[in-house]
Amino acid sequence: MNRDEIAELAAGYALGALDADDRARFEALLAAGDALARAALRDFEGAVAGLAAETIKAPSPAVKAALMARIDAQGRGDGEAVVRALSSVKPKDARRSTWTYVLSGAMAAGIAAIAVGWIVSTAYDRRVTQLAQETAALKQELERQQSLVALLRDPATQVVALAGLEPAPGARARVLWHVTAGGLLVAQGLPPAPEGKAYELWAIAGKNAPVPAGIFTVDAKGVGSLRVAPIRVDGTVDTFAVTLEPAAGVPAPTGTMYLAGKL
Amino acid sequence: MQTAGTPPDAPVALLARIAQGDREAFSRFYDAFAGLALGLITRILRDPAASEEVLQEVFWQIWQEAARYDPQRGSPEAWVVMRSKTRAIDRLRAIRRRERTFVAPADESVTRSNEAGGENPGVAAETRALVRSALDGLPEPQRRVVELAFFEGLTQSEIASRLGEPLGTVKTRARLGLERLRSLLKREEPAEP
Repeated sequence: MNRDEIAELAAGYALGALDADDRARFEALLAAGDALARAALRDFEGAVAGLAAETIKAPSPAVKAALMARIDAQGRGDGEAVVRALSSVKPKDARRSTWTYVLSGAMAAGIAAIAVGWIVSTAYDRRVTQLAQETAALKQELERQQSLVALLRDPATQVVALAGLEPAPGARARVLWHVTAGGLLVAQGLPPAPEGKAYELWAIAGKNAPVPAGIFTVDAKGVGSLRVAPIRVDGTVDTFAVTLEPAAGVPAPTGTMYLAGKL
Repeated sequence: MQTAGTPPDAPVALLARIAQGDREAFSRFYDAFAGLALGLITRILRDPAASEEVLQEVFWQIWQEAARYDPQRGSPEAWVVMRSKTRAIDRLRAIRRRERTFVAPADESVTRSNEAGGENPGVAAETRALVRSALDGLPEPQRRVVELAFFEGLTQSEIASRLGEPLGTVKTRARLGLERLRSLLKREEPAEP
């Protein structure tokens, strides 16, 4: 295998995109301690980790709290270890006296109790984790609803109607827009985005270049919505437009325009 | 992206301590990498609630499997990224199997806003801008291959059939894209004071 071939395998591996046979070939190289393969992989993994840095997002504290609670409750399956350790304990005196039977009976009962306790605490722990997740999700939903209500109540919120253009003349959308709080887009009548594509909303201030305002897709009925974060632009946003773009979104519009409207 | 040497709070050392059951090390490791992991997971799943669930699964696995980390195969950062990505894509495939059409949730602002709780939003924003500009610096065909692989979880042969290009071309583009990305990120990295 030449240098380029190894580098190609390493790049695919770092991206997690190798097909099964290639992955097996590359893992064999790694396992064999191939210096070239390891060096190439380290290099590319650095670049890939850098790629992930683009999207850093702080998790809600509930996730860490649930994890730490889970660790405290269950801790690395130590319950299992205790059961194993206890199962392997044998009395030093192997004579089968009555006491041995009594003791081993008591020990078996003890082990059973520990095992049952462990199973119950694992189930309980799973439930606690699930509840913490549900609470976090509800809290997030509540915050979202509250921000929407605040947006609707604010007299400074404007409503922009977006009309369907040539590719989907029947499509319509509304943007609730607030200069400092951002807004909400609700669209209907859009064709479902093809695989690998999504709709991207653009905010435009006068003659300035469009600024990306978020990506969304629509359901089978053509309905989609998007919470728009506050956008920093030079000047005042006066136009919104929606184009079809690669699913990951693009910094400047490249695709066909589906909706547009002015304040 | 680590400096030479292994101070006790370096990610590699933290992982070794986690493997010994050190709760405090886990807490610090989480603080250092949860944001990175969640951003990536959210970008793949586009569902904040499901993303936090996956984040929790990823870190629970890290707690349990820290001993399996092999520094020969990449940095802890890359290890976290790889695990997050794999888990998120597993979940995405499960969701897609369940419902043919995938509807993104209303709260799509997640990948763009600096939310409360971020340790250092200024630095994070700077890093993001840097990576964005590096990605934009890639020729379009290379960028597409990198993004399809990384953010959509397609394999190289799936990318080849999606783009209607030969598999060899896709492989070469992935390599060239990452090589270029690596050199762009290195070149633009701010000098240490």
